[in-house]
Amino acid sequence: MDNIIKNKIIEDLLPRRFGNKGKLWFGILLVLCITGLVAYARQLSKGLEVTAMRDYVSWGIYISNFVFFVAISLVGSLITAVLRLTDVHWSTPLTRIAEIIAVAAITCAAVIIVVDMGRPDRFYNLFTHGRLQSPIIWDVIVITTYFFISILLLYFPLLPDFRLLLKHNPKGAFSKLYRFLGSFWTNSPGQIKINERAINILVITIIPVAFSIHTVTSWLFATTYRPGWDSTNFGAYFISGAFLVGAGGVLMAMYAFRRAYNLEKYITGQHFDKMGRIVVMLALLYLYFNINEFLVPAFKMKKAERDYLIGLFAGDFAPLFWFAIVCSMFLPIVILIFKKGRRPLPAFIAGLLVVIGSWFKRYIIVTPTLLHPFLPMRDVPGSYRHYFPTWEEWAIAIGSLAAMLLLITIFARIFPIIPIQETITETEQHDNP
Amino acid sequence: MTTHKHIHLSVILLLFVCTASMAQNTRQSLLLNLGYYNDNNYMQYLKATAKAKINGKFQVIPGVPVSFYIAQVADENLLGKAVTDVYGEAALPIPAMARTLWNSGPKQTFLAVSTPYAGYESAQTDLDITKAKLKIDTAAGRKIIVTLVQLQDSTWTAVKGADVKVAVKRLGGDLNAGETPTYTTDSLGSVNVDFQRENLPGDASGHLVLIAKVEDNDVCGNLSKEYTVPWGVPSSYKTSFNERTLYARRGKSPVWLEIMGYSIVAVVWIVLFYLMGQIFKIKRMGRQPFNG
Repeated sequence: MDNIIKNKIIEDLLPRRFGNKGKLWFGILLVLCITGLVAYARQLSKGLEVTAMRDYVSWGIYISNFVFFVAISLVGSLITAVLRLTDVHWSTPLTRIAEIIAVAAITCAAVIIVVDMGRPDRFYNLFTHGRLQSPIIWDVIVITTYFFISILLLYFPLLPDFRLLLKHNPKGAFSKLYRFLGSFWTNSPGQIKINERAINILVITIIPVAFSIHTVTSWLFATTYRPGWDSTNFGAYFISGAFLVGAGGVLMAMYAFRRAYNLEKYITGQHFDKMGRIVVMLALLYLYFNINEFLVPAFKMKKAERDYLIGLFAGDFAPLFWFAIVCSMFLPIVILIFKKGRRPLPAFIAGLLVVIGSWFKRYIIVTPTLLHPFLPMRDVPGSYRHYFPTWEEWAIAIGSLAAMLLLITIFARIFPIIPIQETITETEQHDNP
Repeated sequence: MTTHKHIHLSVILLLFVCTASMAQNTRQSLLLNLGYYNDNNYMQYLKATAKAKINGKFQVIPGVPVSFYIAQVADENLLGKAVTDVYGEAALPIPAMARTLWNSGPKQTFLAVSTPYAGYESAQTDLDITKAKLKIDTAAGRKIIVTLVQLQDSTWTAVKGADVKVAVKRLGGDLNAGETPTYTTDSLGSVNVDFQRENLPGDASGHLVLIAKVEDNDVCGNLSKEYTVPWGVPSSYKTSFNERTLYARRGKSPVWLEIMGYSIVAVVWIVLFYLMGQIFKIKRMGRQPFNG
C-alpha cells in the first residue's frame, strides 16, 4: 500500500483539538452536568422529597432515563458484534462510535440508578446482601458484566491504534496515557492473532449478555403485576426498542463526527444508506412489538387495564403516547424508506426523531402504569394522583444525558473515533484482494 | 334620559361591587363533631371530625386546625392542638396534665374549637362524658360476660340498656362471637354471650382475642376492651415454597437452582478474566523484539 495513502488515513483519523464549536459544545455539556450535580446535591441533602415521586409514582424520569441508557447501550452489540459476526465489513468505521456510545450509556445507566436511590450510601448493600432471587440483583450483575465487556471490546480494537498514535504524536497531550494503555503493541503476528481471537470471543459473549441486560431490565417491570407491565412480550419488546434507539443514536453520531472531523471519505453516503435501511427494519420490528403490546390488551379491555389503556390512547397521556409512537417509529420509517431520506442530513434528522421519541417512549412505559394501580387510589393527597418532574429531576436527567454526550466527546478528543489500523488493513485488502 | 342611564349604571355597579365584596367575605360553615375514645381502659383520646357541605353533600375537610379543651375554653384548660388529616379527623390523646380536672368528678366536658381556615368559618362543639369502663370475663361452657359500669359519685355502677358489641378480633375486622353482633346490657350492666365460633383458627397456641365495644354512646362515648381466650384452633403455616423455588429466602432455595444461576454468571466472568489475561499476554509479547 502506498505510504502516502496510509499516512493520509492516519492524518485524517488522528484525534484533533477542539475548535471553537467543539469548545462551545464541551462548555454547554459541562454546564448541564454541573447543573445536574447541583440538583443532585439538593436531593442528597433534602432527600427524595425534592422530586415529584410519591407513593404511587415511585419510578419517575430517573428510571425512564435508566431504561433509555440501557437501551441505547445495546447498539454496541448490534453494530460491533452482530455485523462483525455476519462478516459485514462496511460497518468498520462505525464500530468504535457504537462501542463508545455503549460504554458511555451503560456508565450513565449505572449512575442514574444510584441517583434514583434515596440513600446512595447503601448501594454497597446490593453487593453485600444481594440475593440472586431479586431482579434488581440480576440487573446489577448484567450491567456490571456488560460494562466490562464493552470496555474490553473498546480496548482490544484500540490496541493497534495506540502504536500509531504514539508514532505520530510522541509528545502529545495524551502520550502518557497512550503509552500506559498500549505502548507494548508491536503489531507482531502473535499479538494480532491473540487480539483477533479476543475480539471474536468478545463479540460472541456480548450478544447474550446484551440480550440479558435489556431483558432483565424489562423483567424489572414484567415481574411486577401491574396494568401495562404484566406481559410476556416485554423482553422482546424492550430488545427491539433498544436496537432501534441505538441505531438511531449511531445515525446521529455518524453525522456529527462526519461534520466535526471532516470524515466524508470514511463515513460515506453508503454508510448512511445502509444504517438507514437497518433503522427502517428495526422501526418496523419495534412497531410490530408495539402492536402486540397494545392491540391485544386493548382488544380484550380487561377492567383493570381499561383506564390505563384509555389514558394512553385518548386520555391524559395520549399526546405523549402518540408523539412517542409517531416520532420514534412512523416518521423515521417515512423518511428513511426513500433513498433521498437516507442521505446524511435527513438520516440524521430521522435518527434524532428516533432518539427523542424513544426517550418519551420509556417515560410512557414507566409512569402511566404507576398511576393506574389495580386497587383504586383513595384518600390520598392530590399530588399523589399525577406526576410531573420537579426542576431537580429535570436537571439531573438532562445532566445525565449531557454526561453521556460529554463522555463520548472526551473519548473522541483522546482516541481515534474510527479504527485507524483496521481502516488501513481493509484498504490494503481492498487494493490487493 | 342620559341622567337615568347613569343612575341605572351606578346602581348596577354598586350592586356588583357589594355582591363581590360580600362574596369575598362569605365563609362556608364547618361542622365539627367530637368523640371520646377509651381503649382497653387505658388509652383515652379525643377525635374531632371536620365536615362541610360541598355540592349538597357532606365531605370531610382536611387541614383544619383544631384546639381541644377540657371543662371550658380557656388557655389553662387547653389539652392540645391537632390538624385534621385526609379523613377530616384530628385526634389527641388526653395528656397527663389534665389529670386534676379529669379526677375532679365522674362527668367531664370536652370542647373542640376550630379557627377560620381556608374559606371555612370557625366552629365549636362540646361533649359531655361520664367515666365508664368495660369488663370482659368468661364462664364455663365458653360463655362471655361483658359488663359496662359507669362512675357515679365515687362508685362504679352498672349501666342498663346500653348496646355492646361482642366479637372476635380478626385481621380484616371483627367477627361476631355469638349469634348477633350487638347485645343490650341488663340491670347488672352485663351481657352474656355464648361463644359460637368453633374451630376458628387462632395463633400458634390457639389463642383468640375477644373484643367488646360500646360505640357512640351518648353517656360513655366509645369504649373497647380486649380479652384473650384459648378457644381457637392452633394454626401452623406449612408450605413447601422454600424447598422448590429460587425465590425462597436466603439459604432456603434449592442448592441446584442457586448453582445454576451462579454458574451462568461465573462462566461469563471466567471468559472475561481469561480475556484480561490475554491483555497481559499481549503485553509480554510486546517486550520481545519484533521488527514489523
